[in-house]
Amino acid sequence: MGTARLELVRDETPDSAASSEPEAAATPQRVRLADAALRCVARQGIAKTTLDDVARAAGCSRATVYRVFPGGKDGLMCAVVDTEVARFFSALALRMGAASDLEDVLVVGMTEAALRITEHPGLSFLLDHEPEVILPHLAFGHMDSVLDVSSTFTAPFLGRWLDHDEAKRVAEWAARIVLSHLLCPADGVDLTDEGRVRRLVRTFMLPDHTVRPTDSTEPGGVERIDRPPRSTQPPKGEAS
Amino acid sequence: MVETDTRQRILEATYACVARWGLSKTTVEDAARQAGLSRATVYRYFPGGRDELVDAVVSWQYLRFFGRLYEEVHGAGSLEEVLERGLIFARRQVLEHEVLQKVLQTEPDVLLPKLTVESNRTVGLISGFLVPYLHEHGLPDGLEVHEAADFLARMILSYISAPGRWDLTDPAEVRTLVRVELLPGIMGDTQVVDR
Repeated sequence: MGTARLELVRDETPDSAASSEPEAAATPQRVRLADAALRCVARQGIAKTTLDDVARAAGCSRATVYRVFPGGKDGLMCAVVDTEVARFFSALALRMGAASDLEDVLVVGMTEAALRITEHPGLSFLLDHEPEVILPHLAFGHMDSVLDVSSTFTAPFLGRWLDHDEAKRVAEWAARIVLSHLLCPADGVDLTDEGRVRRLVRTFMLPDHTVRPTDSTEPGGVERIDRPPRSTQPPKGEAS
Repeated sequence: MVETDTRQRILEATYACVARWGLSKTTVEDAARQAGLSRATVYRYFPGGRDELVDAVVSWQYLRFFGRLYEEVHGAGSLEEVLERGLIFARRQVLEHEVLQKVLQTEPDVLLPKLTVESNRTVGLISGFLVPYLHEHGLPDGLEVHEAADFLARMILSYISAPGRWDLTDPAEVRTLVRVELLPGIMGDTQVVDR
């Protein structure tokens, strides 16, 4: 159990051969091996996956795997995470970039995230069979990092309708909801169902206006920003 | 000795062992010695041995945590007050819980799967507690009380574990958080802008 290392968000301090490897470019060969490793993980988990398995799945020799990943299995698993995280965020970018208003950008972003997460072959195997590898990264301090990374990435897509700080806040709120439903599924709430997500967003986040903290002169205060529900206009920031 | 007293004594002894040696290294023997009981007695209460004992100690501490949270908020007069006081208190408890913090550092792989199982149960507990407050407030048309309660419960658990950009030790920030991220859809406009 203890040897399975998986950093969803890389720690700052390089404390292993894997994370002290120089930042490697995603060469086709690295990606091909990472994909082969992912197929193995989806079938048998991280603990049972050996470099031989990966070599066989990739149709190459064990020596090749070692040449590309001198850090061995840890380095390879880091590459799997990097590849999958990159794919996850580009899929989000594609959907969110095409959205036409604030409600839509949240709805398509959350739905796409939920779909990608629940249908991810490796992730669902690990959550079922090796939760100890995944769950520590989604709670407490590590969850703070995941929220930070997700909201930093997705906030710009909200920036067409919200100012910078408000965009980051709302992006974090959305990431929180998705994570919560991933870890603790609710009866009758399926976040891969766009209609269900729309209801969540409309009901709890954007009832018919958005609310944001006022400036520092009034700590704790909130103001209303009138915003037609499906407007494409950026908010002007007048309090009502 | 009464049955529940013995069980309680074993749990407390096990907890003391976990505080010293962690979850993985605590054995039935350690717990028995610490409790001043025989191994056979510990096995009588926890036939599953070490694994059952460790699960039971996590559940017990988890319930104590939420028991204290309940004590802190159950007299509150309004939904806002419940949420504000609850978030501040719970976050402080997490930060000040030395054993939790130590185990999170050293054995997150052992603790988190257990905590995740517990927190799935807790969503129901917290939302059940919130239902009367929601009834008292009344909800916007079309919003079911259980839907609102479930949303609040899972958000509360989320902020307690990972406050993200919010500083839950600052009452002014918590006040804003509750009004901006928890209640906009639940309380309607008047209460939200009311100071």
